[in-house]
Amino acid sequence: MTNTQESAMGDADQKMGGNIARNLWMMLSGVGIIMLLGVITGFLSQHNAQGGGTLDLAGVAVLGAVAAAILILAFVIWKLFQQGKQSGEKVPRREKVYNRFLVGSFLFGGATGLALALTGSFDAHETSLMSNAAMSPVLAIILSIAIGVILPAITLYWHRHAVDEQEEAAYRFGALIAIYAFWFIAPVWWLLWRGGILPEVNGVTLYFITMFVALVVWFWKKYR
Amino acid sequence: MKNQLKVLRAMRNWSQADLGEHLDVSRQAVNAIETGKYDPSLPLAFKISRLFDLPIEEIFDDEYSGERDG
Repeated sequence: MTNTQESAMGDADQKMGGNIARNLWMMLSGVGIIMLLGVITGFLSQHNAQGGGTLDLAGVAVLGAVAAAILILAFVIWKLFQQGKQSGEKVPRREKVYNRFLVGSFLFGGATGLALALTGSFDAHETSLMSNAAMSPVLAIILSIAIGVILPAITLYWHRHAVDEQEEAAYRFGALIAIYAFWFIAPVWWLLWRGGILPEVNGVTLYFITMFVALVVWFWKKYR
Repeated sequence: MKNQLKVLRAMRNWSQADLGEHLDVSRQAVNAIETGKYDPSLPLAFKISRLFDLPIEEIFDDEYSGERDG
């Protein structure tokens, strides 16, 4: 191999590291936007639960600060996206599908959450992820269709068209570790509850722990 | 698994994105294979072999040093 080739190879590898870091920051900024949208949702739901009406100055200030933070994160994503385009590095077809899908999901999820919050359709307790509070039948049906019908269809498309075999392996390993985590955590929690040490086993909490383990392992296997 | 993918790619002045485009995988996948963090499936290994017009065993090294059977 010639020195020029070695140098070109090194440049390509440096670009690769830069691209991974850029993609990670874009993803983290996207997650940040979703969390901030959640803050707005919670804030407005709480406000509506307390009778609604015009927001006071403090409320407007809080909403303004969160909205500004969302705009800053959106600007960061846009700048990083522009940097990626200007670097001139070709992006493989499968990765383009992957990125478009990810951006589309963020936008759709964020817009839906914001629309629900702004219309004040549901109160804070029923929309809370970790709550076991009663829920209106309409919301229960909407969420069940979203999670039980739309999400599996999107997941199927995702695995068939966007994910390559290296990421598929990362998903499989993540799923394996997550099911082991479930198998060990669930009975230990149940036994400690029977011993009066922990509160009763909560299925939703177990579900989120399992999801969290799968995501962390997937992330590590894909990007390490 | 050790392999010659990085060298073969450099000989063609391809970036990881170029190779990813040829193999229909992401840059992360190319990087993971090159650094030995991920071993490709048999179909992908054959695809790599055809792309560089080399037998699989000249690209991938399983570090087997014993006598071959048969």
